[in-house]
Amino acid sequence: MTLKDIRSVIDGFDATRAQMEDLAETGQDFANEGARFQTRVASLHPKRLALTVSELVEETATTRTLRLTGDAGTLPPFLAGQYVNLFVTVDGVETARPFAISSAPQECGHYDLTVRKIPGGFVSPWLVEGLQVGAKVSSSGPMGSFYVNPIHHGDDLVFLAGGSGVAPAISMIRDIAARRLPVKFHLIYGSRQTDDVIFQRELSELDAACDFLTLTQVISEPNDTYQGRSGFIDAALMSEVCGEMTGKTVYLCGPPAMNAVCAKMLKDIGVTDKRLHIEANGPPVDPTARAGWPTGIGADQKITVTVNGRGSFETTAGEPLLNALEKAGYQVENACRSGECSLCRIKVLSGDVFNPSEAKLRQSDRRFGWVHSCVAYATSDVEILL
Amino acid sequence: MKDYDAIVIGAGNAGLSAAATLQRGGMRTLLMERHNIPGGCATSFVRGDYEFEVALHQLSGLGTEDQPAILRHVFDSMGISDKVDYVEEHHLYRYAVPGVIDITLPASVKGIISVLSEAFPAEADKLKPFLDLCEVLTLEAYMAYPRAKATGDPEVIKKNCRNFVKYGLRNAKDVLDEFFDDPVLKGVLGGYWGYMGLPLKELPFSDLGVMLYAYAAMKPWHVVGGSQALSNALLDSFLEAGGDVRFNCGAEQITTDNGAVAAVRTEHGEIFTTNQVVSNASSILTYNQLLDRPELAGDVREDFKSRRMGVSGFVLYLGLDCTPEDLGIEVATNFIANTIDDEAQHAEALTLDGAPKGCLFTCYTVGDETLAPKGKSVVALMCLQYGSAWDNVKPEDYAATKFAYAEKLIDLAETVIPSVRAHIEEIEVATPMTMMRYLNTPGGAIYGFSQGIAEHGAVRDRVRPVHGLHLAGSWSGMGGFQPTYQAGASVGGSILRKQNKKAG
Repeated sequence: MTLKDIRSVIDGFDATRAQMEDLAETGQDFANEGARFQTRVASLHPKRLALTVSELVEETATTRTLRLTGDAGTLPPFLAGQYVNLFVTVDGVETARPFAISSAPQECGHYDLTVRKIPGGFVSPWLVEGLQVGAKVSSSGPMGSFYVNPIHHGDDLVFLAGGSGVAPAISMIRDIAARRLPVKFHLIYGSRQTDDVIFQRELSELDAACDFLTLTQVISEPNDTYQGRSGFIDAALMSEVCGEMTGKTVYLCGPPAMNAVCAKMLKDIGVTDKRLHIEANGPPVDPTARAGWPTGIGADQKITVTVNGRGSFETTAGEPLLNALEKAGYQVENACRSGECSLCRIKVLSGDVFNPSEAKLRQSDRRFGWVHSCVAYATSDVEILL
Repeated sequence: MKDYDAIVIGAGNAGLSAAATLQRGGMRTLLMERHNIPGGCATSFVRGDYEFEVALHQLSGLGTEDQPAILRHVFDSMGISDKVDYVEEHHLYRYAVPGVIDITLPASVKGIISVLSEAFPAEADKLKPFLDLCEVLTLEAYMAYPRAKATGDPEVIKKNCRNFVKYGLRNAKDVLDEFFDDPVLKGVLGGYWGYMGLPLKELPFSDLGVMLYAYAAMKPWHVVGGSQALSNALLDSFLEAGGDVRFNCGAEQITTDNGAVAAVRTEHGEIFTTNQVVSNASSILTYNQLLDRPELAGDVREDFKSRRMGVSGFVLYLGLDCTPEDLGIEVATNFIANTIDDEAQHAEALTLDGAPKGCLFTCYTVGDETLAPKGKSVVALMCLQYGSAWDNVKPEDYAATKFAYAEKLIDLAETVIPSVRAHIEEIEVATPMTMMRYLNTPGGAIYGFSQGIAEHGAVRDRVRPVHGLHLAGSWSGMGGFQPTYQAGASVGGSILRKQNKKAG
């Protein structure tokens, strides 16, 4: 610079400019920085994982485990209890469903997803009956906060599982065994009939091999030859097999009806919010039965949804907007499909939408009309912004 | 005819502000955001019954309703004033180093002088001159200096900005040493260094002095619903004015023609033509990754070499099953450390081997109960940390490493607020990797480049190599909430002025 910079009158200006020149000698232009950190982030939290179905294991007549191998090699690590959202195309509809990983986090070459066929379901029958070895699928990265948190869960853990809700539990048990964690783990596992029990052999083996594990199995519809515990997981059973609940952390993962009943029962026997972790499990089975659902609107009520600037379609009031959008060919990002993760957030421009308690909406999203479409129900004609 | 008059890449504070300003000013604007929600840092998330503020600790620059300050005017101009509610904080911060000091600064200049005079009687007479300097420096830095500089006459700068000339670029430690003797008093007054991410000896005094004065005179504020409410309000204003927004839509390329912006291509392959692009992405990604011909930005990359990667943060979001009173706290903002030595605290930000020596415990439910269920509290507990500290952590060790560091951070907080751990109902841990993931910033940097003296606006020259490509955000100015909102509004305003001149 030939002319002296007018800013030189500021004390320290010239010295700082000289310092900048020194810094430039040893600095970098960050040319590769973007790719470097984005690769690192993707190794933990990929947007999508390309997977191949490498094995299918029949667990029961209605349940099978899909072993998914990463097309790019090692898969991102997960915490036992977490899920991935599996993207599939069924009957021409691009959709997805979240499933807890049942394999141990130590097995980093694959994720096992244990899927039970829901009668009348849209995706699960196809996964259990239609999917073949070698099929290509994709998923989200591992997600969710339903895992054993070492910071505040303590060392006395109880897991209430129903049906395929045992999937995250067995991953936790396998993880605790592999890491020799200093905790006690009591799995209380309810099934309808003896041949509905998933992982019977593995659980018996783990029970025999692991001192930290206590296994209580309950069958609600036992046959004549069954010798074990029968009935439901209720307060009496809890009192008998668990005793005092103070200091215990409880995980609950089962069908929606079981989650509701057990959550209430656990609160009644003194388990506090802090000690209770419930895995979300899809949209409400019957939203019209929920408090706040408008009177006079049935689940079959016809509704017209207009997507701002992109056309319109017809659905019914009882169909979550996300499912309706997918069936009409619109793609919406999503993951938990249970109201929590907020990835399927859309804006309601006009019309009435019912948000059940599953919808974990931000205060200001509520104010400005944003909803979680996976658990949002249009109860009048609506216009939305994707 | 171009598809849009302007395209804004990124819906962070500066992106939202620029988009709202442009669209309300009559330019047809497209706002693109790779995430599914507006805000960038200015966001919140829900776990169980709690809503967690992600990044905003204390909003500066609002002033009161009776005496509005600049940010309130900026928000007015963007049409969001009736869309947001604020909660006034009555304290700047509590500064607690067990065994050394535990003191709370009220949110007023008089109050600060009174509290500190009592605690440090030997230095009482120097407090007013010091805070007077902070005040006059604020006026000079933002009002007098830009005008004086515009005259091109160094004598005018000297005459009209005497204090800025003498103190503006000196390091904050130096100036505190000039006024005060007691190292504890200096520690208390320098408490805000963490908001800029560098120890006092590396910070320009004008940044610290302005911050201290601005919070004291214009008060620190919380936003009802958290900073997400501001983000949602800005987006609402933009949409009401007729703007188009696309979420889950990252920009992949800024296409140029003859060295001028021509279009933006999205990650989905769509192409939108425009002559004006405001990038709220980091300058590093904008010039090195988004620009179709990085060779256009040779000067920028030379300029990068004199900059250093800024700090990120390690944050615990805590939902506690008790009230702030149960915890024994009356102040939202608590700086907790085991030493008054800011350099020793900052050194811990470079490594995971040791333990944090200083942290910030912000309890949002002090003064605003709406973020948590009744009887419960929401807390962000954070320490500074560089992204590079995580460079050698293998993916399979990531979770264990973050939990182990979280324990150390809680241990530090518990030296002043004893029963934190026992009250945790929900906890989420964010590391610099989390910041990289959600903010898409190199190093997970939260304030852009390292905010040292060499980053000061009075020292840096602007490099703008591509016609029609504008940067707005912490990578091209100061970091933090107020500066980035203002940066967006200012970039938007200057594009509008040029456009109107052309049209007129």
